[in-house]
Amino acid sequence: MVRLMEFVVKTCADTAYINITQEVERLVESAGIAEGTAFVITQHTTTGITVNEALECLQSDMEQTISALAPETRRYSHARMLHSYGQSADNAPSHIRAMLTNNHTLLPVRDGKLHRGAAQEIFLAEYDGPQDRKVVVVVLGN
Amino acid sequence: MAIDAHQHPLFFRDFCADAQIASLRREQQAYYKMGVQDVRRVIEQNRINGVEKSILLPHDFSHFQNDRISNDAMRQLVDRSEGAFYGFAAVDPNRDDAPAELERAFGELGLSGLKLHLAKQKIAPSHMRVLALMEICQRYNKPVVFHAGISWQPDATAQYARPVFYEPIAVEFPKLRFSLAHMGFPWVTETAALLAKYPNMYADLAALYFDSTDEFFHYLFDRAMDYTWLDRGIRHQVLFGTNSPRWGAKRALAAIRRLPLREETVECITGRNALEFLGEEEVNWLD
Repeated sequence: MVRLMEFVVKTCADTAYINITQEVERLVESAGIAEGTAFVITQHTTTGITVNEALECLQSDMEQTISALAPETRRYSHARMLHSYGQSADNAPSHIRAMLTNNHTLLPVRDGKLHRGAAQEIFLAEYDGPQDRKVVVVVLGN
Repeated sequence: MAIDAHQHPLFFRDFCADAQIASLRREQQAYYKMGVQDVRRVIEQNRINGVEKSILLPHDFSHFQNDRISNDAMRQLVDRSEGAFYGFAAVDPNRDDAPAELERAFGELGLSGLKLHLAKQKIAPSHMRVLALMEICQRYNKPVVFHAGISWQPDATAQYARPVFYEPIAVEFPKLRFSLAHMGFPWVTETAALLAKYPNMYADLAALYFDSTDEFFHYLFDRAMDYTWLDRGIRHQVLFGTNSPRWGAKRALAAIRRLPLREETVECITGRNALEFLGEEEVNWLD
């Protein structure tokens, strides 16, 4: 069986790690699948999905590290007007940070619930906010 | 908190509920992947990005393209938006009813200024129809924002938008405050020279035709002119603006704050100059 569900997160900063564990768990439980796999996927190219511990200090470290790997002030080829958009692409660092984070995670489902490690929480990584971001949850299983 | 002197509402849901209108604007104004925007979310995003208020610049391309945002609708949006916007009027100078509509927009609707895009409206700034509108604006003490320089829109040629062609307006209407948008790019030096001569002329920074914001501002203020021109000569006449949704606020504000300018100059550019331009504060820097 496959269930596909979606929700939208309204982000409130240029860069943020938003804990979406509760919403994902709620959707997984509503899927009616006892055993399987849950995929959590972001539909954007300047956001990511990551699993880590929900500690403020750690989120600060994650933000600093990703910013150091893809700094704002490097010279990027993507910094130009895009004819196909009619808008300027001034967000190259956001794309690179999303690439480094990756766009999805997967976790097991057991007894109809998300089966995650005690310290594992799911984060939507916003790198070009504030925007409205769609997250897709797909549950595969029996 | 800053004032964005150049934001376009053409994709606000209030003005764009019809899918056909949205599609038409994407093609006619070159916003090919732009979605419809919820105004409350726009206000929230503006504030998160450091913009407290915006000057909303509508359009009236009714003569050639049968598309406009009505001045009545602008008034209603501003009234609903809890002080987030200054709403400008738009008229098409090619229409015979433009002067009467502008009188109504100021006298009855109380809109804050006039936006004209003469490149798109295909009429020269020296045309008597445009000058008639300038007389009304000066009489009501309302400012004007002109698109200036190259336009990204199709069918909008720069022959009507070169900054020096607006000099006669500054001469004929010395009490009229008007802004040349986009620093008149690519005629940036020309724009700076005009601002240096005419204290009633302004220009906004809504320009990102190449590169990142940091890199483009470096071009504007360190190669097309010198930072000292901005920091000393024309600091009271340059307005922070984004041209949103074509370009955005958050990187632009950060980029301005990284320029080698006095802190007071940055404060003027990001806020105070807009208040003087709007007539909300007295111009008291002339010496």
